[in-house]
Amino acid sequence: MFPRSTACRGAQRALRPRAVLPPQRRGLAAPASGSFQYQAGDAKGVKFASRDLAGQTTTLALVARAGTRYQPLPGLTEGLEKFAFRSTERRSTLRIVRESELLGAELNAYHSRENLVLEAKFLRDDLPYFVELLGEVASSTKFLPHVYNEEVLPLIHLAHKAFLASPTDMAVNSVHSLAFHRGLGVPTASSSTTPYTKYLDPATIEHYSKIAFAKSNFAIVANGAEHGELSKWVNQFFDGVPAAPAEETSVGTAQSKYYGGEERIAHSGGNAFVIGFPGSSSFTGNSYKPEIAVLASLIGGESSIKWSSGFSILGNAKASPSTQVKTTSAIYSDAGLLYTTITGSASHVAETAKAAVAAIQKIAGGQITKEDLQKAKAAAKFKELEYGQDVKAGLELTGAGLVHGSKAYQIDEVAKAVDGVTEAALKAAAKSLLENKASVSAVGDLFVLPFAEDLGLKV
Amino acid sequence: MSRPSIGPFIVARPWLRRWVQPLANWYNNAAGYRQLGLKVDDLIPEENDVVQLALKRLPPKEAYDRVWRLRRALQCSVSHQLLPKAEWTKPEDDQQYLSPIIREIEAEMKEREDLEAMVLQKRKRNETAAGH
Repeated sequence: MFPRSTACRGAQRALRPRAVLPPQRRGLAAPASGSFQYQAGDAKGVKFASRDLAGQTTTLALVARAGTRYQPLPGLTEGLEKFAFRSTERRSTLRIVRESELLGAELNAYHSRENLVLEAKFLRDDLPYFVELLGEVASSTKFLPHVYNEEVLPLIHLAHKAFLASPTDMAVNSVHSLAFHRGLGVPTASSSTTPYTKYLDPATIEHYSKIAFAKSNFAIVANGAEHGELSKWVNQFFDGVPAAPAEETSVGTAQSKYYGGEERIAHSGGNAFVIGFPGSSSFTGNSYKPEIAVLASLIGGESSIKWSSGFSILGNAKASPSTQVKTTSAIYSDAGLLYTTITGSASHVAETAKAAVAAIQKIAGGQITKEDLQKAKAAAKFKELEYGQDVKAGLELTGAGLVHGSKAYQIDEVAKAVDGVTEAALKAAAKSLLENKASVSAVGDLFVLPFAEDLGLKV
Repeated sequence: MSRPSIGPFIVARPWLRRWVQPLANWYNNAAGYRQLGLKVDDLIPEENDVVQLALKRLPPKEAYDRVWRLRRALQCSVSHQLLPKAEWTKPEDDQQYLSPIIREIEAEMKEREDLEAMVLQKRKRNETAAGH
């Protein structure tokens, strides 16, 4: 009745000799650091930070200050990102892929407005291999014309198409460019083909790599690696990268200034409406305001609990359950943007946009209950701490903090700051939002989507 | 496609090169392609994937010049004429422009085949561990 293998499995197991497990460096039950504190260090001019999380895997990232904000020509960041893990002087693309596959690793490259991140996830034992790989990618990638034409350009073109097809992406990028014009306002993907047909070629990307991957412009961040070990390997494998940038550029380094305004883009693929206000810089930056994070979770829109619309004001006030609303507090090194993204059918989006402005007016008028404030604070704190616990998320912030101010992003302190937010501070923050100029971007059916003026916003 | 060649063997030995070089110069001139304004890499048969890919990877200027040389040579051939002597390919211009790319592509293909035929061995220190 039972298949043989099932019936005797217990016996088989008993007979099998016990496998000898390697002594673990730290048992799971032993107290892990208990906090998310990073240990920072410096190896021959290369900044690095690590925290030794218990576990068998490591996430290693090279965070370069080379996001779209800092690119001297449009498209350079994307070009550099897509050239990551391609042929180097010592290894071919195929070899890198095959070797990483054999070690069971994941390689990933992405960019944000401020940072370019090359990331590798792997088993703890393989740390030296991947530190070497990142060192090689940073110092000796070959920027060959045919690789650019055959592999890189199609990917950039694909990103451009994906960008055009997504109303939400277009709206978010449009709101950033309204808010910050240049610098932080530069879109993260090409909105037309001009940038990569006119300005981009392998030689230019190579030159930019000498700036982006100079020792002063990047940091190595590891989760789940021993500090001493990482220090040793970083010391060894980053000799090839230039000590100073090939050319001093001041692009994007000026203090971000908030402008605001309105943009309307017709789009047949959907509707997206984004309302943005000046927000908080990152904790390592100079204009950190914890009340913005609380405000974001109070306005909210997305529920964190299944089968419930959540406590947030917009979660309850949105026009229909199918309308998606999300309030994000985007933080950058020296500025931030608090924005609400609304997507769905045009009439519902229009209705929800009105509700969003009403919500902010309500908070500014002090019409919020103590309970809601408590919930919002708890949600903001939870989000922050969860973000820290998530192995991947803190990497970019930590790396950016190291590059910008030689200060790692310490999440414990951020959580403390969120705890200290008072109702008065929240009210004042909401009031200042309404007094400032807003950035409003409507993408989709412009016949239905409202103007900022109609919503009662200043632009 | 690259052919088997004793060239590298000879070049590596200066004494031998001194002997063979005049012979090679004579042969190249006698082969007649320089009189039609061609370069030596124009003679590589292009009807295969490797050379086609190499041609795609040529810089635009090189690719244009190559086509121009081929058409000029074809005209000469059809009209049973040689170019005026001033337009013959000079020995110093007769450089390999396609072969390095072909060698690169062949190396890529060989590496792929090698990796495909690879035999995996567990690292010594992991052999005793259960799984990895």
